[in-house]
Amino acid sequence: MKDDWIINESDRVLITGANGFIGSKVFEILLEYGFTKVRCLVRSSKNLSKLERIADSSKVEVEFSKGNLLSREDCLQASKGVSVIYHLAAGVEKSFPGCFLNSVVATRNLLEVAEKQTLKRFVNISSIAVYSNENIPRGGLMDESCEVDKKLLERYEPYTYGKAKQDELVLEYSKKHNLPYVIVRPSVVFGPGKAKITDRIGTDTFGVFLHLGLNNRIPLTYVDNCAEAIVLAGLKKGIEGQVFIIVDDDLPKSREFLSLYKRKVHRFFSIPVPYPAWLFFNILWEKYAKWSEGQLPPVFNRRSCAVYWKGNTYSNKKAKRLLGWHPRVQMAEGLKRFFVFMREKESKKC
Amino acid sequence: MLNVGIIGCGKMADQHATQIQKIPGVEIIAVCDKETLMAQDLSERLNIRRHFTGVEEMLQTVKLDVVHITTPPQSHHTLAKLCLESGCNVYVEKPFTIDTAEAEDLIGLANKKNLKITAGHNAQFTHAMIRMRELVRNGYLGGKPIHIESHYCYDFGDESYAKALLGDNNHWTRTLPGSLLQNIISHGISKIAEFLSGDNPTVIAHGFTSNFLKNLGENDIIDEVRVIVQDEDSTTAYFTFSSQIKPVPHQLRLYGRKNSLIVDDDHQIVIKIDDKDYKSYLRYFLPPFQYAKQYVSNFSGNFVKFLKNDFHLPNDAALKTLIESFYSAITQSVPLPLTYREILLTSRIMDQIFRQIKTENIS
Repeated sequence: MKDDWIINESDRVLITGANGFIGSKVFEILLEYGFTKVRCLVRSSKNLSKLERIADSSKVEVEFSKGNLLSREDCLQASKGVSVIYHLAAGVEKSFPGCFLNSVVATRNLLEVAEKQTLKRFVNISSIAVYSNENIPRGGLMDESCEVDKKLLERYEPYTYGKAKQDELVLEYSKKHNLPYVIVRPSVVFGPGKAKITDRIGTDTFGVFLHLGLNNRIPLTYVDNCAEAIVLAGLKKGIEGQVFIIVDDDLPKSREFLSLYKRKVHRFFSIPVPYPAWLFFNILWEKYAKWSEGQLPPVFNRRSCAVYWKGNTYSNKKAKRLLGWHPRVQMAEGLKRFFVFMREKESKKC
Repeated sequence: MLNVGIIGCGKMADQHATQIQKIPGVEIIAVCDKETLMAQDLSERLNIRRHFTGVEEMLQTVKLDVVHITTPPQSHHTLAKLCLESGCNVYVEKPFTIDTAEAEDLIGLANKKNLKITAGHNAQFTHAMIRMRELVRNGYLGGKPIHIESHYCYDFGDESYAKALLGDNNHWTRTLPGSLLQNIISHGISKIAEFLSGDNPTVIAHGFTSNFLKNLGENDIIDEVRVIVQDEDSTTAYFTFSSQIKPVPHQLRLYGRKNSLIVDDDHQIVIKIDDKDYKSYLRYFLPPFQYAKQYVSNFSGNFVKFLKNDFHLPNDAALKTLIESFYSAITQSVPLPLTYREILLTSRIMDQIFRQIKTENIS
């Protein structure tokens, strides 16, 4: 056990959503840190090959607990004797009830059965998207001190809504039951395994790629870096009740990212759209959605437009200071690996 | 003012509530879910005054004219019965019940209590289906169809549902007598039932697991079904359910004595196939032109509806139409949008399909 950790390497930890993009990296890093009792809660025993491969190479005691967080029985089984819970499972559905159920109800179930005697920390994985930048000017700093968006319904984002409600639940539960918790809000997590260009750069919804990010810095975090920050958030002493935004160093501008992508992965046509024009389009769309009672759902609206494309700067000082975290993969290297992965994906498509 | 309540606060409840709130003279005054967080969230998001965790408590506390039941089908019969006994009219999401015996019981009780009940077969009320019905009513087919083909398929690419179902051996769908099929095919079967006569058509069903699911290690779910139906007037029907056909079709073809019709529900297109005889080579040149004209006419019809703000994603618009028609049947004593006969016949055909597929797969 390191001096500044709250648990020993031999203490049992639980990862929910362990089979996911970030969860499997959290698992890998915990094993790398020497943890010998890691329990992975997974929905299905199918498609465990990635986790099994990691587990086989480490030769430690790994438990794959098959279950669903909507079942209290499964939560009880999964949380038995656990010292730290890394709660990464989330609702990623398109509907509000779907996201609410799989984020909020699932979290409540887990919290209710977690063994208070052994549980030393609950690491709640949220998202940077829950913040509002309404009162931050273009180019202004977004960090942990910013306010969480109170009008998330207007943004019409079920995932973000579910995450914000999940955070509220954790805070409420902590007040009532003295739950030791830390909230981690990763920025856009990228890396091999997730074949997507973030919407913060642009969208091809209308059949042609609209480049919306232009000169904005894109809040990215490479999956290994993000996973390590999450692991540390469960281990470090003296950070109870803290919230961390996870964002890497040397954030690229959207324009730089897109130009590199086109050079390294594949070339495609894109139309640059200035923020005021895009904001105007979002305002019109939102007004039409309201007038037509949802004939077009308000997926484009002024609040989400501001959050994703207004352009802010981001700080990882708090994570570095309190978690002792430093991105282990530099941005240039992370981008290189991502582009290699995407090129392979694209060539398979061809 | 019609006072409405909703039992079950999941995805379907959201869709119902959104449509109900657009109907004038109607207010959702209470929602209920055994999971208090779900009930509370729905009531907060959609500004609904009361939320409950117990159905009986809700029925005793607030005076409801109509209750929508949007819970998993296993609970439909019990909940609908409770509501009917409390004097409420009931809209039950599809599938109406687990089997015909339950369906008959509910309809019998509704009749006895002089209340109304309907099933969530909203796919019957898309713009295209309504246009088709008008044509049939005006004699375009030349009477009852000779043959019907209903394709109602499902895409396992819809990850949210597929993941939930495939990743969870205890998913509620798996415990239905017809498993995945029971939760989906009633839309496609009701399109056939609408045109059949008699109460006991002959049904021959064949079902199997697709190679796609087998390769995922899933052997319990039947996701490919072919059915032949024949009624007492010798009207026949083919029903196709597949999780593999691309693009995923939701189509109805009606073959009549005089003419035939194609309803493409995915694109809200109705195509009339006229029985016209063209001389010699003209048959290769004039009909394509006529069809092109019909497609253009479908396009302009859909576009005008969109401009008039009457084209909310077809199934949402259809849901609103069905709900409004049901409410009209309650308040104005006009006929119900779905006859009880159609609901029961759909249920009987489904029972037969599940029974035969089960026997076939056991043997």
